[in-house]
Amino acid sequence: MKKISTLTLHNLNKAKGQYISFGVFICLTAFIINIALVLAFQTFNAYDSLFEKLSAADINFIIPQIQDQEDLLTEVEGIDGVSFVEKHEGVFTSVTVREFAGSDFDMNTVFYNLDEERTLNLRDITESSEMSDNSVYIPMYMKELGGFAEGGSITYSIDGEEHTYHVGGILLEMQYGNYGTGMIGGYFPEAVYEDFAQEYSDHVITEYSLKISSTADLGEMKNTISEVLREKGIALLNINDRDTSKQTRTMVCTLLIVIFLALAAIILVVSIFLSNFRIRSAIEDELAQMGVLKAIGYTSSLIIASTVMPYMLVGIISTVIGIALSYAVLPSVAGILAIQSGFSYTPVFDSMALLIVLLTLMCAILLFSYLSAGKIHKLEPINAIRGITGDESTGQNVLLFIVSFGIMVLLSFAGTLLYNVNVKPDNFMNTLSEELPSVIFTAEDGKMTELKELLENDSRVRLFMEYASVPVSYEDGSLTAFVCEDFSKATNDICYEGHSPVNDNEVAIGNAISDKYPIGSNIELTVGDQSADYIVTGYIQSVNNAGAVCQLTREGYKKIGETINSVNVYLYEKTAEAFITEYEENHDTIIKSSVNFEQMSENGQMMYTGIVSVIVVILFIISVLMVLLVMYVLINSMISRRRQEFGIYKAIGYTNRQLTVKTALSFIPVVAVASIISAIAGLWYLPAINNVIFSLIGAIKNHFEVSVWILFVFAGMFTAVAFTISVLLSAPIKRITAYSLLKD
Amino acid sequence: MDKQTVISAKHLKKAFGKGESIQVIYSDLNIDIYKGDFTVIMGSSGAGKSTLMYSLSGMDKPDGGEIFFDGTDITKLNNDKLAVFRRKECGFVFQQIYLIDKMNLMDNVIAAGVLTSKDKEDIKNRAKELFSLVNIPENTWKKTSSQISGGEAQRAGIVRAVINSPNVLFADEPTGALNSANSGAVLDVFTSLHKEGQSIVMVTHDKKSALRGNRIIYIKDGKIYGECDLGAFEQDDAERTEKLDQFIKEMGW
Repeated sequence: MKKISTLTLHNLNKAKGQYISFGVFICLTAFIINIALVLAFQTFNAYDSLFEKLSAADINFIIPQIQDQEDLLTEVEGIDGVSFVEKHEGVFTSVTVREFAGSDFDMNTVFYNLDEERTLNLRDITESSEMSDNSVYIPMYMKELGGFAEGGSITYSIDGEEHTYHVGGILLEMQYGNYGTGMIGGYFPEAVYEDFAQEYSDHVITEYSLKISSTADLGEMKNTISEVLREKGIALLNINDRDTSKQTRTMVCTLLIVIFLALAAIILVVSIFLSNFRIRSAIEDELAQMGVLKAIGYTSSLIIASTVMPYMLVGIISTVIGIALSYAVLPSVAGILAIQSGFSYTPVFDSMALLIVLLTLMCAILLFSYLSAGKIHKLEPINAIRGITGDESTGQNVLLFIVSFGIMVLLSFAGTLLYNVNVKPDNFMNTLSEELPSVIFTAEDGKMTELKELLENDSRVRLFMEYASVPVSYEDGSLTAFVCEDFSKATNDICYEGHSPVNDNEVAIGNAISDKYPIGSNIELTVGDQSADYIVTGYIQSVNNAGAVCQLTREGYKKIGETINSVNVYLYEKTAEAFITEYEENHDTIIKSSVNFEQMSENGQMMYTGIVSVIVVILFIISVLMVLLVMYVLINSMISRRRQEFGIYKAIGYTNRQLTVKTALSFIPVVAVASIISAIAGLWYLPAINNVIFSLIGAIKNHFEVSVWILFVFAGMFTAVAFTISVLLSAPIKRITAYSLLKD
Repeated sequence: MDKQTVISAKHLKKAFGKGESIQVIYSDLNIDIYKGDFTVIMGSSGAGKSTLMYSLSGMDKPDGGEIFFDGTDITKLNNDKLAVFRRKECGFVFQQIYLIDKMNLMDNVIAAGVLTSKDKEDIKNRAKELFSLVNIPENTWKKTSSQISGGEAQRAGIVRAVINSPNVLFADEPTGALNSANSGAVLDVFTSLHKEGQSIVMVTHDKKSALRGNRIIYIKDGKIYGECDLGAFEQDDAERTEKLDQFIKEMGW
């Protein structure tokens, strides 16, 4: 150890700047990987802990209370694998939540009696205000995303009737704690619940909550339950299970982990190439000295160890700093995730994550720096002293090309995201939503024809069509059915395979059940006691309902349900608010209710624009930082290697400015070529990246456009930034004088 | 008294390049180096003086032949064993000095010393003695090579070369990059080391440097072309100077 410590310290001391830049890269990599790993380890564990703490059921299913039968409980208890069953009462209805994140939001909601004695699906009230005789407790999701707070109020509109409640508190629960499953919970104190249940007695449901043995299969269990209910002629309104809920509530977390790990991988690759280049140039620059070291008795292994050791030392210190810094931002990241997941936790120090980050980075640094320094083995001392390596290339152009290409991948991804969220927001919103009308009108009974006539004659209306989202059941649970008079008029094609239904015996189904029903097979759909068979014509996607959706034609739905009475209206201009006001004032006998969907979309878009802007800014900062550090290493090495050449140029009359520009320009061809190739390749790899990312959240088909012009603009900007940074970093050329060469 | 052989090289072969561009340096060269001798290898440019010296010291491998260094055939050693051999048996002084830049003189010497000694204090003490011997004042020990004169740097290079008490000290044109005053100081160090019994092999084409040796070997056409015994060095010894002049004249220099 003593033999290499002197040399190691010497190596560290002589190229401090280079090691600092390498350290910054490793610090950044450790920072990002540790965030990803802590989220991966602790979010899912926090979910599981909360699941245990609240004694959450493994499976919950709800049926109309009116159809509940005395022997059903016994039969469900008798299902193989069921260890415990508990029944609860609730009210299941579709509501419009007023001012949810500043807009109206339609939500399937189950209201419960908060004071009911129960052993399963407990609730943890995290924040509460003074009780009132008109209180409702809402899940954290409604607070984090909807903007409702304890002590404030919340208005539910049910069938056009407004119900305003005082928000008594915020609670954590595991069943309907976020809307990813297409259901949300509401919790009334007993007295309020009794009144509500009486008013909506038609919607009263019975919920069966099941604990199952650890060996039982959730999927099989759900099938058995569906079978039992079908045999008894009971409609299954909804069924959810432990795994699906967890997957839904941790979706954004999973997405973030994937993005973070991908980002960390890019930075790590750049740092490895950087250290490789640095070591190769160090060997080139200090060839004679290495020869001398060999001459005086240092073995190749000792010299390699003293070359690798500084990278290991810097790597360890930087990794520890990066990990420490990550804990400063992890609470904020966990807070952001709570918006979607509907539960919060405080990230704590994770020794396993530390170990993995440290081992991964150290192994990568050790392996690649050792491979780079391996060249030292082949150096004959006498040849080294005479300056003969047999390999004059330090891989500068390769490094620059790979780094430029990698950074352009980041920039292209960021640019495409920005373009599709800010410039062409419909692309983004269509990926995450179904139809995006300006207004949704619900007509009074029997007034649909009149409403359509009015819209037909209104020059502000670009398009309108009968469209509704209604619940239907199939053998394994419930689906949200999008019913439309003619899907060829729809503005957002959410069908990613096959086609939307055209005839009344056709259905397109969501990706949640596509595995079970191949295209061409039959599926039985039920509403109440009416059922009909439909032929599957295609598969559709829906991020908001976790893929548990289907499309039916208006006539197809009529076979099992009532006539739909809502219309999607698409306006030429963004004038939905005035349009609604006018229609509600002038046609109140025709319009039963209206939804300003334009406002909802804008609110949703604003939220996503905010998140995307943060991601884009982070990617831009990381890109510029990488360019800065890589150019620093390259230019520093170049100046050190070509010191004599610069001195000669100065001696024959070149100015500092000429030499600085000449140096900066020497990097540009590689940067420009790599950027252009990366931009062109982006036409292929960006759709692939987008597909992977959006598939993770259930959007199998995304509507993102990859604009070649945007990619070229970014390639140009990147090249210009690289040139500017190169000019600034080439400033030390000024300090080289022709006279100093004589002294050297 | 018979001289003790420290290096014995037999039938050495060395060539550079391949095919038509092959340049044979020597094809069957035999040479012995004796303990306590200050052997000077002379010859014209390209004669293979340095190549021979680096072969004898295990820095470079000959293409054929054997080199027995204190009885061990070093041509059979692998690279790592050669490194260990060099650290114990050899010291090197180069024309271009090659002190490790940004490392001060003391650390340059310690970097070599730690290879054979476990006690850093012992190395430091020995380094201090040697610095005194070569006339490098204490206020210079913490300076780097760029902060001192070429002569001081080369004398520090000599300290580094002898810190491990090598069996043989090899020097390749040690005054080649120095001015006259600095050359004299460096050569004086070699002389004092020789007087203390240090075996030295020096390659040079400088007559003043060669005069410091007691045995002159002249290389020509890949062979030992001639050899001259000058006897022990004495300052301003006209007889030795004349003898050397005569010898190199005979060699066709």
